[in-house]
Amino acid sequence: MNILGISAHYHDSAAALVVDGVPVYAIQEERLSRHKGDAGFPLLAIESCLELAGIEPDDLDAIVFYERPMLKFDRILTCALRAFPRSWRSFPQAMKNSLGEKVWMRGIISSHLGVPGKKILFTEHHLSHAAASFLTAPTRRAAIMTADAVGEWATLSVGVGERVANGPTTIRRFREIRFPHSLGMLYSTFTAYLGFKVNEDEYKVMGLAAYGRPKLVEQVRKLIRSTADGAFALDLNYFEFHTTAQRSYSSRFVELFGPPRNPYEPIDLETAEGQRFADCAASVQRVLEDTLVELARALQRETGLTDLCLGGGVALNGVANARLLAESGFERIFVPPAPGDAGCAVGAALYCDRVHFGNPDRDLPDHPFWGPSVDGAELARLAHEDGHSVLEFQDGALIEQIASDLAANRIVGWMEGALEFGPRALGHRSILAAPHTTEMRDRLNQEIKYREPFRPFAPVVPIETAGLYFDIPPGGTRLARFMSGVFPVRPEWRSRLQAITHADGTARVQALEAAMAPRLHALLEAYGQRTGIPVLLNTSFNLAGEPMVNRAVEGYSTFLRCKIDVIVGGGTRVMKRSSTMARPHIDKVKEEVA
Amino acid sequence: MNQRIRRINKLVTNLISERKYIWLGMDSARPHERPSAFDRMLTPVHRWIWRDADRRVQKLLRFSETETDGGRDILRAAEVTSDPLLRRLYLEHAIDEFRHGILFRHRAAALLKVSPSTSNPAFQGAWLAPGGHGLDDLQVDRESDSEMLAFLHLSEKAAASRFTVYRNVMQHDPPTRAVFEEILHDETFHMNYTLTQLARVEPDSHRQHLWRARLSRLWKVYLRLATGVAGILGSMLLTIQYFVLLPPFAWLAKRAARREQTGWTVVAPGRSDSLDRQY
Repeated sequence: MNILGISAHYHDSAAALVVDGVPVYAIQEERLSRHKGDAGFPLLAIESCLELAGIEPDDLDAIVFYERPMLKFDRILTCALRAFPRSWRSFPQAMKNSLGEKVWMRGIISSHLGVPGKKILFTEHHLSHAAASFLTAPTRRAAIMTADAVGEWATLSVGVGERVANGPTTIRRFREIRFPHSLGMLYSTFTAYLGFKVNEDEYKVMGLAAYGRPKLVEQVRKLIRSTADGAFALDLNYFEFHTTAQRSYSSRFVELFGPPRNPYEPIDLETAEGQRFADCAASVQRVLEDTLVELARALQRETGLTDLCLGGGVALNGVANARLLAESGFERIFVPPAPGDAGCAVGAALYCDRVHFGNPDRDLPDHPFWGPSVDGAELARLAHEDGHSVLEFQDGALIEQIASDLAANRIVGWMEGALEFGPRALGHRSILAAPHTTEMRDRLNQEIKYREPFRPFAPVVPIETAGLYFDIPPGGTRLARFMSGVFPVRPEWRSRLQAITHADGTARVQALEAAMAPRLHALLEAYGQRTGIPVLLNTSFNLAGEPMVNRAVEGYSTFLRCKIDVIVGGGTRVMKRSSTMARPHIDKVKEEVA
Repeated sequence: MNQRIRRINKLVTNLISERKYIWLGMDSARPHERPSAFDRMLTPVHRWIWRDADRRVQKLLRFSETETDGGRDILRAAEVTSDPLLRRLYLEHAIDEFRHGILFRHRAAALLKVSPSTSNPAFQGAWLAPGGHGLDDLQVDRESDSEMLAFLHLSEKAAASRFTVYRNVMQHDPPTRAVFEEILHDETFHMNYTLTQLARVEPDSHRQHLWRARLSRLWKVYLRLATGVAGILGSMLLTIQYFVLLPPFAWLAKRAARREQTGWTVVAPGRSDSLDRQY
């Protein structure tokens, strides 16, 4: 049975193909269209899915869209009516936006793929999140919590899921919190206030929070209050996101927190103004964490379960995830590699397979690598044409060579195997570097990633030794599998892991299992043999404002535009022409190749 | 093969580092000392638009986005072309466009610092000034090298002509004028390399390609205009409907909202059972 899952039209469109109950391919549209956060209909992703599986649209048994478009339109129209007459400016745009394309999904999918309308199905947005989180997690029974900005009406939902080996699957949602009361929107409002891009830069708020103190928690608590039934509600006097598309926060919000940041001015943490913004970030982060912990604690008490599956964009907040693990009462927390809307494509397809068609449960591969593979030969051809130094290696020799490059403080663009699905670079499209000095962090920020100096870099470490360098609590390695948790760097290692230790002594660590990415695992070990510390700095292989690279040619063009020293694709290693390399070193490499 | 690579590398290095302009004796390859007649005609309008500080900031920010978008398109062109020489030239071009984006942004930020924007001017004259080529909905992956080069040449030519006018009307703001001056220099290089490369790639039919690209640009201008007019008409109709038809429904919706409880809403069992429904 072939089922195609689609998510589109909000941000980060994606398509995923499930064949006989197992995802075989999933990719975000941005990785193919090369437009970051591409929200358009994911035609390239769909074509890519079908091409890889060698099937035609007619061979699909079902195509599942990740939300119910008419229900979403209902929310948009209702909000416009409720905000009458203040919504008069945003109303025409909202209607054109929805009626122009978004509500006609059945027709659009049908016309794009040439399949009959009856094959096109719809799940609910938060159900897709729940399915993406629960059905991909190695657990049989778990509580489920999903939280994002908004789906159709729901902004947060709780429930439970149960899978029986080779038997039926159930996902039952108990209750939900509805728009405009939304944790995601609260966080996004601060994202906008702090001069970052909504739906894209929320992680910058989290990064900035480490530089501030939660001095403004009382003020933030004026915006969000607990309700008698244990949920929360926003005080809408402080917000405008529900009435207009122009601004998220109201003038009362500005009265409470002061003037918003000019997005074109860098944040200077040495100034009082810069510190105020950091304090704002720290305060909203604290309130978000507190609220999530309260909700999760109640859910744990209610279900008595030990496992929690988290989904939705809010689950990308690694600091909050770590606090949930520590304080909610759940022993294990599962966050999929793509907990945001892109992951809903997988969730919708799996839900359709297990619940709608009633197919028996199957264990799924526990990795994030569902995209196209990299072609080392393509990289070699491009580099040859431009006259760069190209060397082809057998696997072991390549690992040794790259470990030496890293130990010599070279920055490596690393591409291997299938592309990651989701926002994190988990070892197949990564920029790797030595994690020991702040100079390396600054070099990466200034010469390669061209990004704000306050943003941290993440480490990758073999799972076997992760506990030596990072204070990972029981159950934490699961969160660290897909870089979903932020944990303290052990104090005794901080001076030797400066580039990945954030201002508050933490790191968003990836604990790598050899079975998931064997070559990177081997590289970590080889690097450890050279330096004594098997930890590398791992950041996504892209430049600011661009999606992560997919094909070798995209990695290569990125390599040419910044100061990455070495690029690896498959068994090919390319060194930049301008970089100098010690002669004996080259001779040694030649000998190894010979 | 190696000789060919060496030859290409040398040629590109010369082109890029020395910014040599290879003349083919065609009108369109000349650097823009004089803007087009149309742009000259609009000079008073542009002068009026750029006089306002808020509008200047908004336009510079808009140009920044357009140049960056254009840079992404050209970067994509570099990634999809099979011609090594074009790849390197496109890459250099893309880097220039990204740099222009930064120049515009920094200038806008500097202007904002001096006089923080207090309003969002109703008229920005955006349709008058498309700038680079980020707004032309370019399907880079589907364009051939010759189509891409012809398109880029005309875009750069149009941008150079327009930027010349902007530079000329910016006497009162020397730093912004200097930004345009710097960018104009690059645009001239872009204009020329695209033309010479088009002549290389399509020695017999490059003129036809240019004409086809001109027609395509005209068609896109028409589409943009038509979409813009349709958008305005649509907005007007919807706004009228909003005030004429919606008030009773708005009253009902507000009444319902007042009765709505905050907090949890129970998810009714079976609500999600049917996947056929869109609501």
